[in-house]
Amino acid sequence: MNFFSLVGVELQKIHRSKILLILLVPVIMMWIPGMINSDFAFDTRGIPITPENNFFIQGFMGMVWFMIPASLVICTVLLTQTERAHGGILKMLSLPVSTAKLCLAKFTVLILLASAQMFMTICAYYISAAAASRIQDYDFLLDPLYVCGNALGIYLSAIPMAAVFWMIACLVRTPVFSVGIGLASIVPSVLVINTKLWPAYPMSYPFYLLMVQYGKAAEGMYDTQIDWLPWLPAAVVITVIALVISCIRFGAAEKK
Amino acid sequence: MNIIETKNLTKTYGDFTAVSHLNLHIRKGSVYGFLGPNGAGKSTTMKMFLGLTRPTEGSFRIDGKAYPSDRVSILKEVGSFIEAPAFYGNLTGEENLEIIRQILGLPKSSVRDALELVGLSQFRKRLAKKYSLGMKQRLGLAGALIGRPPILILDEPTNGLDPVGIHEIRTLIKSLPQQFDCTVLVSSHLLSEVELMADDIGILNHGRLLFEGTMEDLRAGAHEAGFPTDNLEDTFLAMIDEDNRKRGGKR
Amino acid sequence: MTLRLEMTKLKRTGYLPAFLGGAVLASAFPLINMLVRPETFTSMPGDPFDILMDANWQMMAMLNILVSICGACMMYHAEYADNGAQKMDVLPIHPGSIFLGKSVIAGLILAMMTAMEILVLTGCALHWFTAYEPDAAELLENLLKNILFQWTAALPTVVLMLAIASACKNMWVSLGVGVILVFTIFIFPQDNPVLSLFPFSSPYQTLATAAENDRVLLFLGVCAAEVPAFIVLELIYQKIRRCTE
Repeated sequence: MNFFSLVGVELQKIHRSKILLILLVPVIMMWIPGMINSDFAFDTRGIPITPENNFFIQGFMGMVWFMIPASLVICTVLLTQTERAHGGILKMLSLPVSTAKLCLAKFTVLILLASAQMFMTICAYYISAAAASRIQDYDFLLDPLYVCGNALGIYLSAIPMAAVFWMIACLVRTPVFSVGIGLASIVPSVLVINTKLWPAYPMSYPFYLLMVQYGKAAEGMYDTQIDWLPWLPAAVVITVIALVISCIRFGAAEKK
Repeated sequence: MNIIETKNLTKTYGDFTAVSHLNLHIRKGSVYGFLGPNGAGKSTTMKMFLGLTRPTEGSFRIDGKAYPSDRVSILKEVGSFIEAPAFYGNLTGEENLEIIRQILGLPKSSVRDALELVGLSQFRKRLAKKYSLGMKQRLGLAGALIGRPPILILDEPTNGLDPVGIHEIRTLIKSLPQQFDCTVLVSSHLLSEVELMADDIGILNHGRLLFEGTMEDLRAGAHEAGFPTDNLEDTFLAMIDEDNRKRGGKR
Repeated sequence: MTLRLEMTKLKRTGYLPAFLGGAVLASAFPLINMLVRPETFTSMPGDPFDILMDANWQMMAMLNILVSICGACMMYHAEYADNGAQKMDVLPIHPGSIFLGKSVIAGLILAMMTAMEILVLTGCALHWFTAYEPDAAELLENLLKNILFQWTAALPTVVLMLAIASACKNMWVSLGVGVILVFTIFIFPQDNPVLSLFPFSSPYQTLATAAENDRVLLFLGVCAAEVPAFIVLELIYQKIRRCTE
């Protein structure tokens, strides 16, 4: 069985799981307050930033700090639980499919789900920005190229984090614990991006990217250049290690 | 004397009638077999007795007490086992029973007693979620039998057991009234099973009571109505079939 | 008795280790902060303890809430996973007593967690701020006041979360609701005077900020009233559920 049809099978498994709805809720929860409180966008508190950039950054801030990571955590658990809940994994392991392939197919589904959420976020941004423009009688809409470019960057930077969460879900068998560890690991990222250690902490990557954008939009707030050098190799190494470990451990307990 | 009596007991879910105007009479100290195909309303009736669901219409009395005013005092007298066994998977079999024992305020020895009754003593230290289907079923039964309550409500207690287990549990249920001086209401969808355990039987189909009485009554009545009587399973099937036909073929 | 039973039910669920882990992680924040960049804080003017609270409590409180959410989900997952709750329903106990027992346990464990975190914060203040030398009585009073205030501020959230968990047979639903509530309410401005009194928002308030705005008694009063209110709501909900099932 080739890899793509395996991904197709995995997508079939989450059919009717309402996962897209679960992913939509945080997106809406993030943008509705932004829309209602759109007058806050003018309150820049002395930071040299335009209201439209302020609106964009503030809205995405919540997404990158916790909503995207939290959604990823929930998705990993959902993906592992659909297998474990009714012994489905035993069936899969008894079929002629390599475990590593299966594990990677599931990870692919995870990042596909993340891309769906990113797409929803962009849509939600434009809807809420358009609504806020009407309410405040001020043009909040930013160039689609700028918005989509940023969203794509944030999405790509979330992949190492997704790999780490996937590894946690494969290693920690009790679902509440894997969720708990995942959620707890999100909280410190706001601390970490203010230190030099951030490339070692994948949960802070999307946040870091957005902060660099913030730095560009508002002078003196944060770095304006991305530190590619320690970051890129670190991200690749972390992703590969996390995926290798999850492939090794995936289904290990069931095979005992 | 009847220890459980119902009067026009009815339960509807939306436009679906699960139990319709049921009048049951369960004698004290008897084993009452509650018989009917799947979905006939046996479990719903038993759930109403335990206060798990509220009757839409009608009433019932258990040992002279009525629900909901005497809920706690009814539950003190009733040991129950409903559908799928209910337990805490993270606790051992013994710990599960220990919780029930403390709530019922029973002496410490009752846990061992219950475990022995259902033949689970050697597995008492194992986590309940690691139990096999039959062991879970036995644990559920032990939770009903603990403290030897005067009334037992057992919903298909032999489900999922192997032939040896089924025989053991049947023998146990049959012996309960003499052993502990209690009344047993036990449901099943197999007449052959009820025949071996029960003194009285009630046959339920689509929420309505088709027959209530002793085994002998059933045989005599069936003979009169022209149902086959040499094999009781056939009698039961013929009765259900007849009733379904009378209802105009709607199931 | 109910309390002991509820404790038994938590055996092997990892409830206690989860809270211990949460408390250790939360306490690590001020420690790491002070180890990595002590000058940033020691150079600030004001009361050392308040400086540390300001710098760290937001994240510590968020961790506390997240751990409490997981804890509430664990508690009720144990009830619903293998139908244990159904067995409880047919035993002669008041249905509300289970919820009360769980609330007391969750409240006690929250108190321990808060106490540990405040102790670590005080320890950090004493160790790194060399000029900070309060006398023992003052120190003890400060400790107790802060623990009591932060505990009271977080208690309604814990009880409300238990009520949510008791309403959802599927643990993932209650977990999702909890997480979304935490993050959504966190984005709203924390200085909103009305919103900050609500559960999921009140735990972020520190005693120093409340004292500055002269809202300490208001906070304690509102939070103390919210707890019984949620308990009553839960009991009413259980009655309704019993009738409709």
